[in-house]
Amino acid sequence: MNANQPNANAKVPMEAGLSRRNFLRNSAVFASGLAALAASLAPLRELEDFPSMDQFLQKYYKELTPEEMAKVLKRIEDEVERQYSLRPHVRDLKPLAGVEYVYALNLTRCIGCRKCVHACVAENNQSRTPEIQYIRVLRLPHGSLDLEKAEHNYNPEAVPEKGYFYMPVQCQQCKNPPCVKVCPVHATWQEPDGITVIDYNWCIGCRYCEAACPYWARRFNFAQPSLPKERLNLDMSYLGNRPRARGVMEKCHFCLQRTRAGRYPACVEVCPVGARKFGNILDPNSEVAYILHNKRVFIQLKEEMGTSPRFFYYFDV
Amino acid sequence: MMRPVRNYLFFLWRCARNAFNGDWRYYTWMGVLSVFCLLGINAYARQFAHGLMTTGMSDEVSWGVYIANFTFLVGVAAAAVMMVIPVYVYNNEELHDLVIFGELLAVAAILMCLAFVTVDLGRPDRFWHLIPGIGQFNFPASMLSWDVLVLNGYLVLNLHICGYLLYSRYQGRKPSKWFYIPFVFVAIFWAVSIHTVTAFLYVGLGGRPFWNSAIVGPRFLASAFTAGPALIILALQIIRRVTDYHITDRALLTLRSIVQVSMLINVFLLANEVFKEFYSGNLHVASSKYLFIGLHGYHALVPWIWTAIGFNLTAMVLLVLPVSRSLRWLNVTCVLSITGIWIEKGMGLVVPGFIPTPLGEMIEYNPSLNETLICFGIWSFGLLCYTIFLRMAVPILQGRLVAPGVTPLASAHAKS
Amino acid sequence: MNDKPRSSVVLLALALVFCALALAFGLRVWGKPRILPPNPLVDVQFITPNTIRTSYVQMIRLKADLSDFDCYGCHEKNKPPTLRFDTNQNLIVPQEHSDVVMNHGRHGRNNNCFNCHNEKNLLLLQTRDGRELKLEECPPLCGSCHGPTYRDWEAGAHGRVSGYWDKTAGEVRKAICVDCHNPHSPRIPTRKPAPAPNPLRPAGRQVTHED
Repeated sequence: MNANQPNANAKVPMEAGLSRRNFLRNSAVFASGLAALAASLAPLRELEDFPSMDQFLQKYYKELTPEEMAKVLKRIEDEVERQYSLRPHVRDLKPLAGVEYVYALNLTRCIGCRKCVHACVAENNQSRTPEIQYIRVLRLPHGSLDLEKAEHNYNPEAVPEKGYFYMPVQCQQCKNPPCVKVCPVHATWQEPDGITVIDYNWCIGCRYCEAACPYWARRFNFAQPSLPKERLNLDMSYLGNRPRARGVMEKCHFCLQRTRAGRYPACVEVCPVGARKFGNILDPNSEVAYILHNKRVFIQLKEEMGTSPRFFYYFDV
Repeated sequence: MMRPVRNYLFFLWRCARNAFNGDWRYYTWMGVLSVFCLLGINAYARQFAHGLMTTGMSDEVSWGVYIANFTFLVGVAAAAVMMVIPVYVYNNEELHDLVIFGELLAVAAILMCLAFVTVDLGRPDRFWHLIPGIGQFNFPASMLSWDVLVLNGYLVLNLHICGYLLYSRYQGRKPSKWFYIPFVFVAIFWAVSIHTVTAFLYVGLGGRPFWNSAIVGPRFLASAFTAGPALIILALQIIRRVTDYHITDRALLTLRSIVQVSMLINVFLLANEVFKEFYSGNLHVASSKYLFIGLHGYHALVPWIWTAIGFNLTAMVLLVLPVSRSLRWLNVTCVLSITGIWIEKGMGLVVPGFIPTPLGEMIEYNPSLNETLICFGIWSFGLLCYTIFLRMAVPILQGRLVAPGVTPLASAHAKS
Repeated sequence: MNDKPRSSVVLLALALVFCALALAFGLRVWGKPRILPPNPLVDVQFITPNTIRTSYVQMIRLKADLSDFDCYGCHEKNKPPTLRFDTNQNLIVPQEHSDVVMNHGRHGRNNNCFNCHNEKNLLLLQTRDGRELKLEECPPLCGSCHGPTYRDWEAGAHGRVSGYWDKTAGEVRKAICVDCHNPHSPRIPTRKPAPAPNPLRPAGRQVTHED
């Protein structure tokens, strides 16, 4: 090869000349290596939902023009129809003007029945296997808000149990949300009406927001969600309850497909004892304005975090 | 204009040819690494097809061995600078050429870091959302965006410095100071910044009291500057053994003193942390309790952390005693340090931050087989890269791989 | 050189290993992904937004059988029914009304039917200050003792409010007291809760090697 190369006693053979036998030998190894490499990608045959070009190139929510958004909505309707043989109606609901949502939850009244958990799951098309539930009801002993004493898996014959109270926790829609701060791609942000939303087609699934949330409110799709066709809610919205794909985050969004149309969220509607209250805090006649003005004791969870949640827990007696 | 490009491509071609040629020990090493890489690629294909449920992670513990390894390797990459400082700031000629080996290790480590982060993403096909200008880059609010910038910048910086120095040597030209000395000094600050930014990823989360502590940043740097140079000590001895590159014991002992001081600081900071967590008895200590003594009957990490502390303390004692000046004991010390710090930074940092969850739930974490194969695969890939880099660098530095028609520069490290 | 044959041995062994790996990958010898057992769908009762009881008001709306509320089908007009008490001052509920369990107030404090019912006109309710209220207008009656709760109810803070929070967008349905509370035994009965959560990695379960 190169006349200037000293070689002879070198420990490392430098570009030694290739004999034909060595060439064949090396090619055999190389070829078998390439075959192993190709075969190692075999599991990709099981990939069901490789993103289409449209999905891959879809722009950020805030940059979509209305025409582009209409195309995206139609594409989503097609995708859902292909998967579930049912055609949904997907809208892009904008926040209402002059509205800031606040949630109030009466800890005297909650009986821990978990109807809110399941109404939310049904309304928002959450995966049943693996199970995703935005709301987690905690059972706490009287006299303490120490969450380490909380029991998540209570299942007695009858609730409420003596000596305990129940505290459901979901996304607190904080005024100063840590999840929004840490998302590297702005996939989650706070809308003017106070709801922190996620653009499911923009999220890269790094789960930094899940680590950042002090209330454990965010959920990740570890697998392709499985939804029962018979309970699919076909009234969907882009930022709200349309079915998600695996690899993206999701969380409570105050049922924005309902609330931005003026209705109560599913958890409020289903609560049998009326422990949940929701409304526009900027309306002085709303229930939530009454509660925040008149109840003497109400708390925000983990107030010292500085997140300023829009979720208030209050007590009657 | 085409000629420099053609020469460079020819240079790369010769390096590639080099990578495929060796003796039986080389083939065995590269073969084993390739096998693990293939197993890792297969495991990742499975994860790509089925989602992250193939790992042991859950909503409760949403970061696991991928991010643990990422954190450790950012430290290793940052520690390459620990050789740069004595050489360029204190003019230690002994370490001069060895700096390249340290920086090549940094390049390999950064490649591993980028790989670990990519396999951790739920939607790696959406990586372009991170590109500033094309995607939506949440800079400066998100510490992850800072991490993307500083890690890629560090990679480019080190590739430039090593690439320039090696290519100049290959062409028989003395490198021009202006093309690398300023970058070297930038690299010193940049190395500290990559690890500080990675620490801030954790520190900035107010909802996780285990991480939300000012000591995490200094602890990261102290442990990185222990484990990194320890790795380099081992790597240099291997280079000395399998090539005829001349490395003095004094170089190794200089690195030893860096490891010594860093380990002392590391253990001191550990003592600080333990005192702060346990003395006042307030409720934020739950994660530390889980890690060191177990909590509510869950104690999976307790044996790991005490092993790590045992290793670190033993290593510290050995480092302080003159016995570690002997290479055999120095190697034992290095292995103890690296293992202890890997456990501490991985299982001892990432996992306890999630246990108990912010709502007080105790769900433990165990990496799955698939996850472990991917980790081995990425480590093997990194070692593969580093081996190939060394296969290029050693002959160039010895003057045995030069451009056609060029006389090699004199080198102090070729076999006499 | 004498390690050339050794190189060949190593390389050929490597080639064999690669081929074996290729075969193993292609045949999916290990690593079949965990099939998650499907979680059962929750019972429909847990997602239905019904009130705790079906009150008289709802029965009217549903056009249900109201014969139970036809008091003068059995009672005589202008003849107030007599109440009978036992030696402990507890009300003896007549067997025609055996479905009524009196448990309104502790220690039987509110055990006089005519504290609420109007003895002169059994189809109406009465307050202490003499107002007569239809059965479906009970809140002021309940509120005459339960003041704070009544004030909260009026504002919407107590009890169930459903439909539209935005009154300009649609109607609000505020439940009245008897939609949830049985007036004779008002304490909300206990119930079986919906099942506990089924997380991906339950506490106490080790991830196996098949995962």
